[in-house]
Amino acid sequence: MASRRWLTAGALVVTSCLALAGCGGDSGSDGTTTITFWDDNGGPARTPVWEHIIDEFERDNPDIKVKYVGIPIAQAQQKYDTAIAGDGLPDVGGVSTAMLANLVARQALEPMDERIANSSLDGKLSEQVVESVRATVPDEKLYFVPMSTNMGVFWYRADWFAEADISPPASWDEFYAAVEKLTDTGNNRYGYTIRGGAGSISQLLEVLYGQSGIDEMFDSSGRSTVNDPRNVAALEKIAGLYRKYTPEADVTNDYVKMVAQFDGGNIGIMQHNLGSYTDHVKTLGEDKVGAMFVPPAENGSRTVTSHPVSGLGVFASGEQKDAAFRFAEFAAGKEMNGHWAAETGVLPANTEAADLEGLAHITEATSVLNDPETRLVQLPYYLPEFNAITKTDAEPLFQKVLLGEMSAKEFLDQMADKLTDAQAGYEQRNGG
Amino acid sequence: MAVGEVGTRPRERVRGRGSRTPYLLIAPAVLAMLAFLVYPMASVVYYSLQHYNISKPWENGFAGLDNFTRMLTADPLFWQSLGFTARWVLVEVSLQLVLGLALALIVNETFVGRAAARAMVFSPWAVSGVLTTGIWVLLYNPTTGLSRYLADLGLMDYGAAPLANPDTVFAAAVLAELWRGVPFFAILLLADLQSIPRDLYEAASVDGASRVRRFYHVTLPHLKDAIILSTLLRAVWEFNNVDLLYTLTGGGPAHQTTTLPLYVASTAVQSQEFGYGSALTTAGFLILTFFSVAYLRLSKFGART
Repeated sequence: MASRRWLTAGALVVTSCLALAGCGGDSGSDGTTTITFWDDNGGPARTPVWEHIIDEFERDNPDIKVKYVGIPIAQAQQKYDTAIAGDGLPDVGGVSTAMLANLVARQALEPMDERIANSSLDGKLSEQVVESVRATVPDEKLYFVPMSTNMGVFWYRADWFAEADISPPASWDEFYAAVEKLTDTGNNRYGYTIRGGAGSISQLLEVLYGQSGIDEMFDSSGRSTVNDPRNVAALEKIAGLYRKYTPEADVTNDYVKMVAQFDGGNIGIMQHNLGSYTDHVKTLGEDKVGAMFVPPAENGSRTVTSHPVSGLGVFASGEQKDAAFRFAEFAAGKEMNGHWAAETGVLPANTEAADLEGLAHITEATSVLNDPETRLVQLPYYLPEFNAITKTDAEPLFQKVLLGEMSAKEFLDQMADKLTDAQAGYEQRNGG
Repeated sequence: MAVGEVGTRPRERVRGRGSRTPYLLIAPAVLAMLAFLVYPMASVVYYSLQHYNISKPWENGFAGLDNFTRMLTADPLFWQSLGFTARWVLVEVSLQLVLGLALALIVNETFVGRAAARAMVFSPWAVSGVLTTGIWVLLYNPTTGLSRYLADLGLMDYGAAPLANPDTVFAAAVLAELWRGVPFFAILLLADLQSIPRDLYEAASVDGASRVRRFYHVTLPHLKDAIILSTLLRAVWEFNNVDLLYTLTGGGPAHQTTTLPLYVASTAVQSQEFGYGSALTTAGFLILTFFSVAYLRLSKFGART
């Protein structure tokens, strides 16, 4: 009797353990394979897009079932970190170059070069995007199937510009003049909004390098260019807008608060990227929202910073790598990649992606990126310290600059020193 | 002999089984404590002696006391966050105690609508932390909040953002936390107030004691243990407060509302420096332990008055 009780208890423990360990994929007795997919930007905007892609994939591949798990973007990195430590990674997941260095350092991802070369994606992916992914890791392998990239945009209120009888700025001088003209604090209208909270630094770097025209993050000696006097002058100018032509709340603005201000009707120009297009159009209407890109610098060149490339990675610990890659290949294919780009407003990695003719801002973004006069500043996502330097360290210091508690030069000097040290360490480790 | 043997065997069996039973009964609790309390704490202490950054595995290894040396001698943010935490705990616990006691005294009186008043006083305690901060974020938001409507009425300028202004952010955060914390004291102190024998007040009245004297000489001595325990508990909770400040201010602007636990979160989770984050956590644990023991000793908790 007692031994039966022990047996039952033992069986329960084993069953529970198996249930807990059920993160990865498995093969069912009916011949179907189930793979688990983690969406690293789950939410009301993107989850329905993935659900559509999964439905289409399962219809084309009846032998594979995809289990969708949506993770809010702010928690994605942490979720992957925990999963690596606990050996609970999924079969396939959303990955971007912003987190790639960390995942590759921990050998969590499977290289995709050979699989892509032998698949329908061979030769179909944008070379610029593929190179951007390769440049993020020391061995220059392609550790995920790229699906999209992004580009910085200044979203503006087309109706406000029409009211004020001004055109979208074609230079930085016109930009500052427009910000001033659109501001009417008595009526709760501000010409511009600065992102001063979480995620501020990547946007800041875009307006600094965009104004200075400097097109390298590091000079030939490996020294960061972020504190170049031209960048310092640019920061002083943009920080000078705070509280005069921008709301006081900007100093702690994260993405949600910034968009709430713009879509709430208080802001004339808001800097973000292509990805927020659907939010603005849904709230303000298509006719009230316009997109303009970084104006050219004084030297005449248009300088934009690189944005993370996103895609699907197949995890090394997965047992269903073939099925996981088939899903990634399908999602990055011509039709689904076009659908993805159209629904989320980003630039597709598949050069044959269709159905984007109606989206003027994507067509324009593509032409700006392909313009030989456009200079691309590659942000060093390959540095393991990049997130810590630009988020934990720099974000509060940028707030100090906005509040007048620190000079622009002191702030950029500190960031430049840290980036230079990190770059030196990277080159030493990788024989650069 | 036979009778004696027959008489002792069952007692021995009972004693034998009885001696194991208590251990078996407490075993689940002990195992749970080992798994969920002792192991995590030991793990944090272990990692505090390591360089452990998951994005830089080549630097991981035994650090000795390096993390603690860095914390004490080369990290101004540690001292700044510790200073802010002390100020936050002191202001919050004092104000919550005073206001909670005042509310408890009011709803302890007999008046029409007392039941409804009690329900209103206690209701914020029933609201989840994240929801509370959600409400206050909206109230303080210059686009959707109170200042927008006051400006619409012409009573103030547009754009006031209490959480973004270094001069007002502390008061704004304190107010939001008070809304949530005052009911805790009110509930606890009201329960104790109701156990004070009425004849003590009657005797004091007969002796000519005023309302104020009755409060100081009857009510307060009776509430002493409840006040010590509730302030200690609340001080520990406020020290470890993450949800409200994280959601409300994120520790900003410019680190102005960063408590030690918020600093730990950004160090360990965002920068992935788990070794240094563990050292900060160990320091926080030691500070809280020392404070708790000293507070209980100095306040003579449980001693007869």
